[in-house]
Amino acid sequence: MAAAPERKPQRMTWESILPNALAGDAPRAAELPMDSDAFAGFYERSARPLWAYLARVSGDPALADDLMQESYVRYLAAARPDSIQTEGEVAGRRYLFRIATNLLRDHWRRPRQASIEEIPEEFFAATASSAQSDSQAVLGPALKQMRPRDRQLLWLAYAEGYTHREIAEVTGLASASIRLLLFRARRKVANLLREQNPKGGQL
Amino acid sequence: MTFNSCSREKEVAELVARGQWPQASTPELRVHATACRSCGELILVTSAFQLARAEVASAAKLSSPGALWWRAQLRRRNAAVERVGKPILGAQIFALGIYLFAAVAIFVSQARHGLNWLSWQVQLPQLSSFHLEALWPSALFNPGWGLVVLIPALATLALLGGVVVYLASEKQ
Repeated sequence: MAAAPERKPQRMTWESILPNALAGDAPRAAELPMDSDAFAGFYERSARPLWAYLARVSGDPALADDLMQESYVRYLAAARPDSIQTEGEVAGRRYLFRIATNLLRDHWRRPRQASIEEIPEEFFAATASSAQSDSQAVLGPALKQMRPRDRQLLWLAYAEGYTHREIAEVTGLASASIRLLLFRARRKVANLLREQNPKGGQL
Repeated sequence: MTFNSCSREKEVAELVARGQWPQASTPELRVHATACRSCGELILVTSAFQLARAEVASAAKLSSPGALWWRAQLRRRNAAVERVGKPILGAQIFALGIYLFAAVAIFVSQARHGLNWLSWQVQLPQLSSFHLEALWPSALFNPGWGLVVLIPALATLALLGGVVVYLASEKQ
């Protein structure tokens, strides 16, 4: 196999920056790495699982809507890691979950300023309607008693089926600690599920 | 809490994740799962999360991907323009800094010499040949005509200044 020609690193000078800027280099740099049709396909395949993750982990459907939109905008606008080129959509999806996880973390870190009067009525309506579904009735109360990080780990492992290495990549935690954290979280949620459904044990 | 995982957990996890538990499992594995705490927990938790995922995902109200794509395009464009404009802004700040430094340096050096260059201002009123009013148009001293000329002139200047600023900002 022929070796690829070695590329010389380009030195940034005034002469190289200004003519490019004047010749419209900025709009070219603004081009997205994915065309709108390809993005529409990717969105169709990944949006529902991402929304489910955000809604279940945050417990707030309105927040899930906002964070999902922001996740996609950042996914498109940011410089993407090389793994997306090599691994394709699977890595792209993982990267999307990573952005969403960081946004959730930022949201939790932010000081809460909203009073109860500022929360729209639809929020309570949405929460009430989703509470009627079977899965919400079973899993909802158990998840509410878990810490946000445990909810994230459990969802990524058991709803999305991610491996420990992939969860570490998404959450930014050390791969070695994922196993123990997941084990503890799983035991806790299993006990809570059994307490709610003492007869069955299984769903 | 002791951390003991079962050696058959992987086998059980694959079947549950594929939605084939317990149909595709062997009777021996089913017996094991009922007795093993770790495998029992795995089945319980995975089933609950898979069910929740399917239900919640179907309830999602998705926005248009086209709108998101355009928002991202706009954000990337703004970031690129900002990136290009950064060196120019830096150069402007640098030039302003140099200008201020030079002005302060000149002022300080002149102050050290006793501000001799300001001495002409002190002598100005005493000069008999210095008549400032000779430079002004005589119409200005006529209260009726002076204002008639001055106000439209100032208004025209302000208007033209506004147009120039608008055109300059539009071009940028």
